[in-house]
Amino acid sequence: MKVLTVTLNPALDREIFIDGFKVDKLHRVSSKEKMTLSPGGKGINVSLALAKLGIPSIATGFLGGYMGRILLEELRKASNLITTNFVFIKEETRENIAIIDEKSHTITEINSPGPEIEEKDIEHILRRYAMSLTRVEAVVISGSIPVNAPRDIYVKMVKMAKEKGVPAFMEVRDPYIITLYENDAMPDVIKPDFRASHTLLGKDLKTLEDFVSAGKELLKTGAKLAVLSYFIDKDVLVLDEASYIIGPTIEIDYSHLLGTGDTYVAGMVYKYLQGERDMLEIGKFGYVAALASTRTAEKELPSLDEIETFMQYFEIERVG
Amino acid sequence: MKVSDVMVFDISAVFEDETVERVIDMMSKQFVTGIPVVDEDMKVVGFITDNDIMKASIPSYFALLQSASFLPDTNQFVKNMARIREHKVSEYMSKPPIVIKEDAPLIHAADLMMRHNIKTIPVVDNDGRLVGIITKIDVLKAALEGGLE
Repeated sequence: MKVLTVTLNPALDREIFIDGFKVDKLHRVSSKEKMTLSPGGKGINVSLALAKLGIPSIATGFLGGYMGRILLEELRKASNLITTNFVFIKEETRENIAIIDEKSHTITEINSPGPEIEEKDIEHILRRYAMSLTRVEAVVISGSIPVNAPRDIYVKMVKMAKEKGVPAFMEVRDPYIITLYENDAMPDVIKPDFRASHTLLGKDLKTLEDFVSAGKELLKTGAKLAVLSYFIDKDVLVLDEASYIIGPTIEIDYSHLLGTGDTYVAGMVYKYLQGERDMLEIGKFGYVAALASTRTAEKELPSLDEIETFMQYFEIERVG
Repeated sequence: MKVSDVMVFDISAVFEDETVERVIDMMSKQFVTGIPVVDEDMKVVGFITDNDIMKASIPSYFALLQSASFLPDTNQFVKNMARIREHKVSEYMSKPPIVIKEDAPLIHAADLMMRHNIKTIPVVDNDGRLVGIITKIDVLKAALEGGLE
């Protein structure tokens, strides 16, 4: 097994394609192909993307109830390269809804908060996490945590990975990053989840300088690479020695951006597993993987050949 | 056809020092009747089923009766369950476990299930570490589709 992915708050993803979507209006979906149901949550999405690239992974996290069982079955059907090791909880797994409007080029996302967990569930998952760490070369920890879970669970997970010498890749929102920062537990690769707001360590990022200096702050507590999404289709890659801005040379349909962050992380992990240790190359490959995943609106993941094709469609410039 | 062609790639397991209560909780939430028992290296050291726990909690003299339906209540059963709920899994699991390697022929899994009257077998790698499980229904389904050989 190569990778362990952690999704503490997974979801069943429901994608609905509605052209000309408007609030406060009745919409009839034209065919069943325009409504899809798939396993989701950031870590699970990374497992799915890695499977498409031929990389086996263990997916762990919390699942519960009817939704949890559907998610597990769908995940098992998706690929034999994904081994499941979930902790089952009392409450129901959540459902995430994305309304994709290809006519207006918009995505409207509604993510529910998910279930509460019991104290014993935390102890249960940490022990299984420790066991799985002995079998993998990298760990991906992404997404939100259950509403009542202790905020320091990610701190514990990153520290356990570091103790075992397993590099950690994370994509999470700012409140979690603040806790990691305060506890000196930054993962090797950190990609702040900016979908709700461009805020890092509690500060709003506006200028390119803001992005670079916030990224450098993350490196001070242990990160080797910080990937900061810079206004939709560009990213700022912050490394110890320099910072770069990377962007596409082709036009991107913004309604095709669903799940690209997870493909980005999967791309970086893939490159690391191929033996690449230059963080800039790892960041570039992740960006191109994400770029390749924008070719369709559906959460359809790119193959290695498709990623290679997109290697010609980006530009990178040193910014600091 | 090999075991790896039809097995379920799930490594849900319990540790030897976890409690009977936890196992029952896992079985009820995951709709399974048996769970592999592993050590900290994920090596399979046992297997525990609902039947093992039932045997431990039903008074032993029940086996001597033709029917227990005339007994007035289930007090003894409940008392026994209360007694063992905090006990360790290692006390009631079957060991050494019956396991199968992922590259074994599927007919070998069917043979083990028949000989030992078991429904689920943990699938292990060359180091004896858990990589998944195979159930009787997986084997039957493969046979139905003509893939047992």
